[in-house]
Amino acid sequence: MFADIRWDALQEYFPLFLKGILMTAEITVISVAIGVVLGLFAGMGRISHNPIVRLIPNIYVGFFRGTPLFVQILLIHFAVLPAIFGKSPAAMVSGIVALSLNAGAYIAEIFRAGIQSIDRGQMEAARSLGLSYSQSMFHIILPQAVRRMLPPLGNEAIMLLKDSSLLAAISLPEVTYYAKLMAGKTYLAWEPYLTIALMYLVLTLLLARLVKFLERKYGTV
Amino acid sequence: MKKNWKTLMLMGTMVLGMGLFTAGCGSSSTTADGGNGADKTYVVGTDASYAPFESMNGEKIEGFDMDVLSAAADAGGFKVQFQNTPWDGIFLTLKNNDRDIVASAVTITDERKKELDFSDPYFEATQMIVSKKGAELKTLAELKDKKIAVQNGTTGDEVVTKMLGKGSPNIKRFENMPLALLELKNGGVDAAVGDNGVVLEYVKNNGAGEFVTSVDSSFEKEHYGFVVKKGNTELQKKINDGLKKIKENGKLDEINKKYGFSK
Repeated sequence: MFADIRWDALQEYFPLFLKGILMTAEITVISVAIGVVLGLFAGMGRISHNPIVRLIPNIYVGFFRGTPLFVQILLIHFAVLPAIFGKSPAAMVSGIVALSLNAGAYIAEIFRAGIQSIDRGQMEAARSLGLSYSQSMFHIILPQAVRRMLPPLGNEAIMLLKDSSLLAAISLPEVTYYAKLMAGKTYLAWEPYLTIALMYLVLTLLLARLVKFLERKYGTV
Repeated sequence: MKKNWKTLMLMGTMVLGMGLFTAGCGSSSTTADGGNGADKTYVVGTDASYAPFESMNGEKIEGFDMDVLSAAADAGGFKVQFQNTPWDGIFLTLKNNDRDIVASAVTITDERKKELDFSDPYFEATQMIVSKKGAELKTLAELKDKKIAVQNGTTGDEVVTKMLGKGSPNIKRFENMPLALLELKNGGVDAAVGDNGVVLEYVKNNGAGEFVTSVDSSFEKEHYGFVVKKGNTELQKKINDGLKKIKENGKLDEINKKYGFSK
């Protein structure tokens, strides 16, 4: 089985795979960054005492957590963004919008869980020392919460990295797109898909390492 | 002791993995046997997003290819059963014995002949450029620095890839032709390239005034053939016998006429 791997074909397409995996990494980093910002606001909104403030983040998280990412990608690229801009944006724009919005919904829940896991005595103590609610939140609660959020955030980043493969459907030239291109031209399956599987694995293992390092540096334990 | 456990776990996982793998290999012969074996039923893969050649009508797959292959099967003494199969990986289903025949408006090319066996041709096609009215692009040369949508792994993909190189960021490859044409309609690309039959059908159904179609003089005539696994000459011969009969008795002309394809 492995004896007849077509190394020549693999060699021909490998430069494209490298180009693709860079795009995958780029999309993931940008989307996680935007997702963290979105998630911070949505997560804070969801624990607000004001029901009107809660409403929008609740709908947002409900929708993006409750529908498949693949459907969100198709919807955003082929319907929502063309309706807003009058024409299809570049696949990269749609891809980042879809992944960020999706990540933001999950990260909102991570923030909410992180904040709520901090003993309420912390907030009470901060308030009784004369800090305002937002001062207490940003200087007392969040710094402690973020430490606890590191493992699930790392998890989310790894998920997003893998799920970015779905963007091949809107012709975003990330690594899965190039693997499908190779499969379409050579009718091979092992060569393209096993190769990119290993490339993803390398990235996710590196990411896991990074999270572990950050945990050790800033984490609670 | 702890180390022993780890070794045991690792071995267990490997055994389980190999078991699953061999199980997967064992169940690969899916050819349905029709009754007494007199008329064998072959499973036919088709990407039913390619009207008028193949499309879904409710639950049913119908189109030009279905009519031709069914007629050829009747004449050749075998039975066919159509299965909607995504274009990406459609030829792998032959290699893996998941499908016996692929009937999906497949152009016969030398490149493909290296990996697959084709029946005799049953339809003549050509590539067509489609662009938007007001921003007409009529020749291949004009597409040079424009964004172009194609279906991944089709002959349309091939002509633009040959011109621009396979790593070109200007080629946007989609899973099926409707998505590629939707991208054109939404303005994400400047043109799309695909088989004339499908392009014309799309333009007819999606605002005839909105699009402009054109055939570059460098586009060669293409011929569609039914595809079987490399080396499956028995089935190839059966299909060819059937095709020959329906070409002779006028049935193929009749089907052509039904779809408005003039000779």
